[in-house]
Amino acid sequence: MAGPFARGSVLRWLLVPVVLVPLGWLLFTGLGSDPRNLPSPLVGKPIPVFAGTTLEGDRFSSADLAGKPAVINFWASYCIPSCVDEHPVLLDLVARHGDEVQLVGVLVNDTPDGARGFLDRYGQVSWPTMLNPDGGISIDYGVTGPPETFFVDADGVVVSRHIGPLTRALVDEGLASLGIAP
Amino acid sequence: MIPTLGHIAVLIGLAATLFAAGAFVIGGRSGDLAVLASARRAMYAAFAMVAIACLAMIVSLLAHDFSVVYVARNNATTTPPFYSVISLWAALEGSILFWTLLATGWASLVLYRYRARLPALMPWVGATLALGAAFFFAVMAWPSDPFVRVTPIGLEGNGPNALLQNHPFMGLHPPLLYLGYTGMAIPFAFGMSALITRRTDEEWLAVVRRWTLVPWILLTAGIVAGAWWSYAVLGWGGYWAWDPVENAALLPWLTATAFIHSSMVAERRGTLRIWTHALVIATFTLTLVGTFLTRSGVVNSVHAFTTSGIGAWFAWAILLTLGVALGLLIWRLPDLGDRRPPGAVVSRESAFLFNNVLFLAITFAILFGTLYPVVVEAATGARASVGAPWFNRVNAPIFVALLFLTGVGPALPWGGASWMTVRERFAIPILAGVGVVVAAWALGVRDAAPLGIFGLATFVLVVMGDEVVRGARSRARTRGEAPPVALLRLATRNRRRYGGYLAHVGICVMSVAIAVSATLGTDRTATLRPGEALSLGAYTITYDQLVTEPLASDPRVIETRAELTLAGPQSGRIATALRDYPNSATAIATPVVRTAIGEDLYVTLLAYNPSTSTATIRVLINPLVMWIWAGGAIVALGALFAIWPDRRRMAVEAALAGA
Repeated sequence: MAGPFARGSVLRWLLVPVVLVPLGWLLFTGLGSDPRNLPSPLVGKPIPVFAGTTLEGDRFSSADLAGKPAVINFWASYCIPSCVDEHPVLLDLVARHGDEVQLVGVLVNDTPDGARGFLDRYGQVSWPTMLNPDGGISIDYGVTGPPETFFVDADGVVVSRHIGPLTRALVDEGLASLGIAP
Repeated sequence: MIPTLGHIAVLIGLAATLFAAGAFVIGGRSGDLAVLASARRAMYAAFAMVAIACLAMIVSLLAHDFSVVYVARNNATTTPPFYSVISLWAALEGSILFWTLLATGWASLVLYRYRARLPALMPWVGATLALGAAFFFAVMAWPSDPFVRVTPIGLEGNGPNALLQNHPFMGLHPPLLYLGYTGMAIPFAFGMSALITRRTDEEWLAVVRRWTLVPWILLTAGIVAGAWWSYAVLGWGGYWAWDPVENAALLPWLTATAFIHSSMVAERRGTLRIWTHALVIATFTLTLVGTFLTRSGVVNSVHAFTTSGIGAWFAWAILLTLGVALGLLIWRLPDLGDRRPPGAVVSRESAFLFNNVLFLAITFAILFGTLYPVVVEAATGARASVGAPWFNRVNAPIFVALLFLTGVGPALPWGGASWMTVRERFAIPILAGVGVVVAAWALGVRDAAPLGIFGLATFVLVVMGDEVVRGARSRARTRGEAPPVALLRLATRNRRRYGGYLAHVGICVMSVAIAVSATLGTDRTATLRPGEALSLGAYTITYDQLVTEPLASDPRVIETRAELTLAGPQSGRIATALRDYPNSATAIATPVVRTAIGEDLYVTLLAYNPSTSTATIRVLINPLVMWIWAGGAIVALGALFAIWPDRRRMAVEAALAGA
């Protein structure tokens, strides 16, 4: 047999890098992409409007968010440990930036009693939580599951979306995209 | 306490497998039997350790011990015991634990079975298997520890993935699939050992044939069970969507099937030996790539279990495995020349070679389609997807050619066939195939796919039938046996050949069923008020009422079901539901499938409006679907028949071992 892959040829060893280098490039660039940073058709668009009752029994609607950057956080009491991990991060967000940004929670497929139990256990909050009894708000926002968070600018336009629990670094990144310095 | 025990068991297992790998290498080089025995025992110990760890996880799940993060994420106080137990493989960490159990189980079985045989090959087989197991133990010790604890401890957990607790098949499909995946490490280990020791003759192939067919049977059953699960649970009326997860299971199956065929040629004729080695390497690597792709988040973001460091571990493991295996293969290429001149163009060897080329073509096409979105994203940052139509269009012609070879290959003689033989063997089958196509056309079938598959399947079945009848008749004549007795004896004395035929019959049955169900089904969707009816084919379905209530077995799950009355070839009262699980944003469908020999009636609730009690119902008539599962069972039975231990041969082996 003649040619580069003849039995005596050193060139046949080229086969190893020829297979491995592209495969390695593919695997590692694939890994580099963050699967939590999902494109949402909502990014760059005005937020879907919502209106309803909060956990405290007050009326609240998306119109109340106008004129101020907002963070919309979808959560549920059964979402353990993600929402539990995320809870102190949200409390910290409001403690630091409560006057610059409006936080609003939205329940995903949860009962008001379940949500109250969660807050009793992990800490009461100062921001409203929408009850969302028929799941309509989750559907409008294309929520895949709690926790999921949308960062919205003062004009009511979605700037970014994050799936999974927030961390302090992710919060600062999100706020920076709204023009709020950490 | 119990989770800590599990964690400690994992660490001991890691130490045991590392020790075993080292001892196998030392024993392999020195030939010291005591060292090799201790290496074997270390592998048995590793199996025992991971069994303890699995048990610790199952106990934690059953006890709803939410101090374990895995339990909190995949279990709830209301989860029924059965689903608690099978939550062992509901998510990443548990799956890896279960995978390690099966991998060390296979390794222990092989090492025990050949403890006194194949002294040259076994140490390196053991070293390869031990290193593989050590990798999975290391993954559990570092990036994917299944026993991570959490404080404060929650009162309630998230519950298992809603899709996984909707059907008992989830208890069957993943174990079968995993048994198949993990078992493919054995032919790989033998292949590596043959290359390392330069014993690339027929010895390892003879051993590995059976040890490939067993995991292959399990993989086949796992894939068919998965398709069945998807059909019975997902509510879209189909069974195969070319989803990356499905492709990940199909890829190693394809290369393993190619290996089973090419190893026959390598064993009998001493040719296709490089192919055979390459296929063993490809199969094992693809089981790793399959797990990696589906579990690490490289492909398919929503189903990614985690963003932890596990991806990089798998990427390095794949590159290392492939690099070492390819390097070994290239190093030993001079040993792997053909022992005989290749056969003529029309010969059984060429049929096998074409078969291998086609299997490889399908594998590349599916791999390409699965990886294409990753390549596009890596290169341009854009998200792309490859749909089922692309996969169907590319693979269908290759599959048709493969089916054709299924008929041609076994009927051709080794070496070369004369024109006379070809005419004698294939004239009647071709006429029969054409006859069936014409008959189907006359009966009103107009789609090309079922017509073509009918013709080909007939051709294949007639070729095989002719072979079987010819063989039985000749045996009956020379031995003076009654024809059925002659057939039975012929089959049980030539298990490989006749088991292979039976598997091919199963493939024909599946092909016909898939072609027919994919093209000749009908469906209808309608929004009905209570009392209204919908007709499809010979069936009339009347919508009676909408009922919403919590599920008796798990009150956190709210079921809304449409109760229906069915009239037609099958009749009775049926109910199809949408279930709301607290941890799932979308409702999970619970379709009703009424199965009959000729067709399935498939009814599913798409949507409902509680205020008006209207329900949107989709009804499908899926012809011959039952025969897909039946065909899969025939394939598995054929392979089982082929490997069933032959009593006479066992007696010979025992006599040889005693001598």
